Parts: sequence; C-alpha cells; structure tokens
Amino acid sequence: MTNSKLKSKSQGNGVESPDGGWGWVLVVAMFVSTSLVFGLMRSLGVFFVEFVQYFEENAQAISWISSIGLAAQQFFSPLGAALCNAYNTRPVVMTGGFLSGLGLILASQATCLVHLYLTMGVISGLGWGLVFTPMVATVMANFTHRRALAVGLGFSSIGLSSFAFNPLFQLLVETYAWRGALLILGGLSLNIMACGALIRPECRSKGPAKLDSQSRLPCSVMLQRVFSYLEVSLLCERPYLTYTLGVTLFNFGYFVPYFHLVAHSRHVGFSEYGAAFIMSAAGVTDIFGRIVSGWFSDLGHFRVIHLLILWTVLAGVFIMLLPVSSLMGSYSALMVISLLYGFCSGALTSMVFAVVPMIMGVERMMGGLGLLQLIESCGGLLGTPLSGWLRDNTGNYVASFMVAGSFVLLGSLTMTTLPHFFSCTDPPPPKRPVLIDNSDALRLELAQKNCCSSEMNHQAVEQTKR
Amino acid sequence: MSQLSFLSLVFRFSIVNEENLGNYTCVFGNVAELVFILAAPQIGEIRDKPIVSYVGDFVVLTCKMEENKPTPNSWNWFKYNGTEKEQISVAAEPHRYLISSEGWKTKLKVKNVSEADSGLYYCGAVYAISTSLSHVELKVITILEPLKPFLSILVEVVILVAAILIYERSHSKRKEAEADGPNADPMNTQ
Repeated sequence: MTNSKLKSKSQGNGVESPDGGWGWVLVVAMFVSTSLVFGLMRSLGVFFVEFVQYFEENAQAISWISSIGLAAQQFFSPLGAALCNAYNTRPVVMTGGFLSGLGLILASQATCLVHLYLTMGVISGLGWGLVFTPMVATVMANFTHRRALAVGLGFSSIGLSSFAFNPLFQLLVETYAWRGALLILGGLSLNIMACGALIRPECRSKGPAKLDSQSRLPCSVMLQRVFSYLEVSLLCERPYLTYTLGVTLFNFGYFVPYFHLVAHSRHVGFSEYGAAFIMSAAGVTDIFGRIVSGWFSDLGHFRVIHLLILWTVLAGVFIMLLPVSSLMGSYSALMVISLLYGFCSGALTSMVFAVVPMIMGVERMMGGLGLLQLIESCGGLLGTPLSGWLRDNTGNYVASFMVAGSFVLLGSLTMTTLPHFFSCTDPPPPKRPVLIDNSDALRLELAQKNCCSSEMNHQAVEQTKR
Repeated sequence: MSQLSFLSLVFRFSIVNEENLGNYTCVFGNVAELVFILAAPQIGEIRDKPIVSYVGDFVVLTCKMEENKPTPNSWNWFKYNGTEKEQISVAAEPHRYLISSEGWKTKLKVKNVSEADSGLYYCGAVYAISTSLSHVELKVITILEPLKPFLSILVEVVILVAAILIYERSHSKRKEAEADGPNADPMNTQ
C-alpha cells in the first residue's frame, strides 16, 4: 500500500518523469513535426526563383516571405506555450498543424506578393509557432535521464529533412509549378496534426481555468491567470534572464556561418561547387553533433551546463578560425574547420534546450521555452544584417566572422554567471511561485485527485499485481 | 580570294548576308584539316524541362543571351503550331500576349492560358546578319493534376488521426475494464 502511495505522489509532483515507452513515440512525433516546420522553412529557396519570375519582384521582396514566417513562428511561441498551459497540448498542436497547412494551401492561390506574405508568412508562421515549442516541451517533460538524447534525436530531423526536401521540392515545382507544389506541401504539413494526436492529454497543476469557466472572474484575476500561463514571472528571475541573455548572444553569431560561408568561400576563390559542398558537409556533422552530444550528456559524467559552455566556446573559436583558415588559401583547412564548426553548432543546439528544465523546473518549461524563443529571435534578426553591414564596410567577411565568434564567446561568459555554475552537481530546480489563494489551492487538489484518480487506481492495481 | 604562301593559307572575304555563314574547312593535303564555324551569337542555356502553368493563369517565358556576347538588336517570339513557326505579334492579340525585351533578356507573357497554348515556343535574337533561335516548352495543366496527390495525402492524414484516437480510446477502455474486473472496489483495499 505504501509503495503505491509513494508512486502516485511522485506522479502528482511531476518531478520524476518516466523515461522511454510512450516517450519514444513522442520523439518520433517531434522528429516529423520539426522536419515539417524547420526543414520545410529551410528548403523554401526552391520557390524563390519561381516567385521572382512570376511576380516580377526583386529577391529582397521575395525573401521577406521566409523572414515573416520565421518571425511569426518565434513571436507566437509564447502564445502557443500559454495556450498549452491553459488547455491541453494536443488541441494546440493539432490546430497549429492545421494552420500551417492552411497557410500553404491558401498561398497556392495567391495572385500578388502580399497574399504570400499573409498566407505563407503570417498564417503558416502562426501555425509553426503553435507546434514547435509545445512539441519540444512535451518531449522534454516525458524524459529525465535520456532527455538530451531524445531532444537531440528530435532535432536531427532538421538537417536530414533539408537534405531530402530540397530535391523533393525541386521535383514538385518542375512537375506542378509552384502553385501545385505549394498545395501538396500544405497537404504534407497537415501531417503535423497526426503528430499532435499522439500527445496524450495529461492532468497538470494548472486546473483553475477549467473549473471556473462558469463564474465570471474579475479582470485582475484573469490577468493574473494569463500571466501565469505565459510564465511572465520568469522574467523577474535572475537565472532565467541570464540564460536568455546568453542564448540571445549565441543567436547573434550562430546563423552567420550558415548565411555567409558560401559567399565567403567564393570570395576567397573556391569554386561554386566546392563552396556548396562545404555547406552540405557541415550540415552532416551538424546532425551527428546533435545526436552525439545528447547521448554523451545523458551518460551523466558532466553537468549539462558545463557541456553547453564547452560546445559554445568551441563553436565560437571555430567561427573565428573560419576566415583565418581560408585566408591561408587551403581548401582542406577550411573544410576541416567547417566540419568541426558544424559538429559544435549541432551539439550546442541540443544542450541549449536540455539545460532549460534545470533553470526553471519541468512545470514551467512550456512557458519558459515560449518566452525564450521570442527573446532569442532578436539575436537572430539582428545578427545577420549586422554581419552583412560589416562585410559591406570592410570589403571581406573576416570582420563579420570575428564579431560573430566573439558574440558566441560573450554568450558563454554570460552563462558562467548563472547561480551554482561552479559546483559539480546540479542544484535542485526552482519551484514555481504560488500565485493563487487558499480556496483555489484546495479546489486544485480536488481537481487533481478526481482527474488523476483513475490513473492512480491503475498504478495501484499494477503495484498490487506485482 | 585566297593567298597561298609556304606556311599559311589566308582566305579573305566579306560577310554580306546570311548565305556567307556556315562551316568553312581548310585542308592541308590529307595531313590536317581545320573547321571554322561562322555564325551569329548562339543562345547557350536552353531549358530542357517544360514550364508548367495552369488554365486561366498567366505564364512568363524568358530567353537570355549571355552577357559576354553582343547585344541582339531585337527579339522575336514564335509559336510552333505543328508545321511551322508562326510569329507572335502583340499588336494582333494584345490581350493575350505581352513581349518585353531589354538588351540580353526577353520575356513573353501569355495571359489567360488554355490547353491549346501548350507546345514549343521559339525566341529569336535578331542580329544584322541573322537570327539565333532558342526554344522553350510550355505545358498547361488543370488544377486537377496536383489535386490528386493532395487529396490522397489528406485521406492519409485523416486515417492516421482517426486510427491514433481510436487506438487510444480502446486502450484506455481496456485498462478500465481490467481495473474494474479483479478489484471491484479499489478505494476500499487502500
């Protein structure tokens, strides 16, 4: 009897999440949905040539489509997180999948560029925002010991799908022109709904809204609830702010090689084919980096935060070495540094997400991730134009890469100011502050008991069977 | 007029009209042979895949001369109607065609295409001496073409979602049935 009580208690607290089982099914769902969000976004370049010819606009106007899409995805991330906190994750992700498919389907009927901005940019971007953060947070909530590996496996889909989608999209455009290709892509994006259906609804300690739907609440209480869904309280905590600042600094420098490496290689004198090959090779090591770093960090020899600093320092150093190696004129040196950079950048991506529950606790992870996505987007939006401006003013890419690398190193330095950084073991994750009054707390417990009682009974039955 | 010396043969002539263009071969006994191809600048890149468009939509066909070659004086567009190349005249059908040419590039915009507009189109770069031709194929399809794979993907998504939800419901019902079976009143045993 005591065994079953202990187990049901730990289920209620949500501190220990079960590893494996349904969690791996969710990893597959995350793999598919992430590839349909970011893999798709990265392969839209195939359409741009067609749009330039059809709409007779210049490349910059066309490139706004993907910029708006990415910005919308990041901007609506907190909204997606808040909706998952208020309602269950499953309907949010399924709605996101539906919206992203709808945006692409409507885009196939566009007659002017503004239509594309609104459909492919805003509607699909909103859908992607409702999908990505909830999916990542759900996978992380379902794992404890294998968290980094699960996240790394899920993110490896981005690199793999960019490989597969580029030739596929090219084939679709050649067979059906861009209208038919967008229509079919919209259909493919609807598969995210199937991924969302795999998320099982769970009872979580955010019940008040479900109970009090009949009674009218005063404005201040509603506002308080909305803030709690958005996890705005996190913005007042120093560890979270430090971490967000560090990740934003990473984003300043992280994207620069992806945008400018090809141009830099051509500038130094390597052929078009050679430059593109370097990018593909870096993409392959990126995939390996994500999986290997996730597996390695789960072995538990080092703290996740220390591994994160290791990969980011290495990535910053390699970014700075990129122009140095190419200035020496050696293609093999540039290739080696690019491969190493690809590995480190993939490795740090897994770690960035795996550290999040340590900073804010598993319960607040959803909202925290949403806010993190929104704030770090500033780094991404400002970093690449800055490096472009540096290149225009200095004539080559050396300054841009140096500045990008130094931003990444600065981000690592910021991370070292996190509390308990220099200790050898992980500190306990912080609990969320109690914002609700006593009557609500009582109703909360009752709701949890009713909702979870059937689960507890099953657990009890299984315990007694053993 | 040719001039023969011990080491070289020079053939000097004026290019008057198109008939002077062609292949010229210089032969030295049966030891060496050199072929000169005299022609107007040719359009290098020819797109081998057809351009696809939809019924009722407009389509833009482009032709480009490499910029290291001389600029054409003008451009012409022709449609192949099975037997011959028929020149497309914008003045005759201004609501259907629009030709915009600028230096090395030319664009033919065909508005409101129908399936009869499918086929080969030729663009001609007009030089003083002759015209160089290149071709591009237009294929007009209806919306039904991509609709077929789209609907099959739609059906697949609906089936997947339904299967997942039905499996989950039957799984939880089975668990409830197991729980109610052996332990009729689980609350009391605790």
